[in-house]
Amino acid sequence: MDLFAFFGNLLWPIKWVIEAILVAFHEILTFFGMDADAGLTWVLSIVGLVLVVRAALIPVFVRQIKSQRRMMEVAPQLKKIQDKYKGKKDQFSREAMSRETMAMYKNAGTNPFSSCLPLLLQMPIFFGLFSVLRNAQLEGNAPGVGLLNAELSESFGTSSLFDIAPLHLAISTAEGNVAVIITAVIMVILMTGSQFITQLQIMSKNQSAEMKASPMYRQQRIMLYLLPLVFAFSGFTFPLGVMFYWLVSNFWTMGQQFLVIRNMPTPGSEAALAREARLAKRNQRKGIVEETPDAGTIVIEEPKNPQREQPVSKNRAKKKQGKKK
Amino acid sequence: MNAVVTFALLIPRNLCVFILRIYRAVISPLYGDVCRYYPSCSHYTLQAIQQHGVIRGVWLGSRRLLRCHPWAEGGIDDIPARRHDRYQITRFGFVIAASHERG
Repeated sequence: MDLFAFFGNLLWPIKWVIEAILVAFHEILTFFGMDADAGLTWVLSIVGLVLVVRAALIPVFVRQIKSQRRMMEVAPQLKKIQDKYKGKKDQFSREAMSRETMAMYKNAGTNPFSSCLPLLLQMPIFFGLFSVLRNAQLEGNAPGVGLLNAELSESFGTSSLFDIAPLHLAISTAEGNVAVIITAVIMVILMTGSQFITQLQIMSKNQSAEMKASPMYRQQRIMLYLLPLVFAFSGFTFPLGVMFYWLVSNFWTMGQQFLVIRNMPTPGSEAALAREARLAKRNQRKGIVEETPDAGTIVIEEPKNPQREQPVSKNRAKKKQGKKK
Repeated sequence: MNAVVTFALLIPRNLCVFILRIYRAVISPLYGDVCRYYPSCSHYTLQAIQQHGVIRGVWLGSRRLLRCHPWAEGGIDDIPARRHDRYQITRFGFVIAASHERG
């Protein structure tokens, strides 16, 4: 418990901001005539919180996409390292391989990873919502750290969605409340579904051939089948209010991913080819002739050829250098 | 006698090692590879605690966590080396007294 108190203090500023956003949305919704104590009002406030938090995280996301674009430039070097350690599966080789890969990224001035900070930032929100709803369940309605005063905290903690599913209950604490169990089960299914779609979108459409051959890809695939279990567990333990945050956040990720894959696909992936084809078609419709018929036929006949030209052309350049020497 | 004292002294360290190993086996895989550094933050902290003890290890690990953010440069970032190793590390990662003590 002391450990929780320690993290609680550490996360104080973030918690304060979260409460402020939550209360602000609650005030706005009440101002527009919604019942201040209704579960729906609080759920919509949670939705608002998700929108603000995720919108604030967009720059991080954009940065990540940009560095992923630059991954294409270092693909030949990456391939060289992978070939060097091909078939060597012992711990030392693998460590040496990731060390070399990381050094290469640094030299190239790019890095495909975003660090765990975006994930860590979401943690206090979880904790915050969790503790508020937990307090409500334990009767003594402790106020939050900032704008969420005792009165609001009680209103939040005791509110029920459509007056039948209290937001502070989870399946494990529902004690046979059918509405809570049904809501939680539906949410777990929706979360699993949205996560599945997001991951599948990335994996099947937005990854180049090099990525698909990497061990990271395999790890992602294992994750894909592990996550439903995680969600089922959380649906069992976490209060509905916390689950709503997670669910809406998942939906946001799905939408964001869809837009990114559609409009800024990873070069060399299926999605990039689909986009090229789409653009070609649109140009054709608009009457721009140029080389569109050409591009169109290539895409239809052998979809992967035009993409593989990039690394090949670089290799060729290197071969020429070799011949000169 | 000496061995018992060493074992007792190493208990906090090994407790942390155990917690970190569980974290790395159960929670880390949930979000895949995200760290911008090599070794990753949890691996770094694990090594730091193994070699420098709980207090310095946690301090080093916390500083690393603060260094690791989306705008960090990333790259290779090893723990500061210890001058001489008094202990041995098992395959699991526990720290034990070196078996070939020179006395």
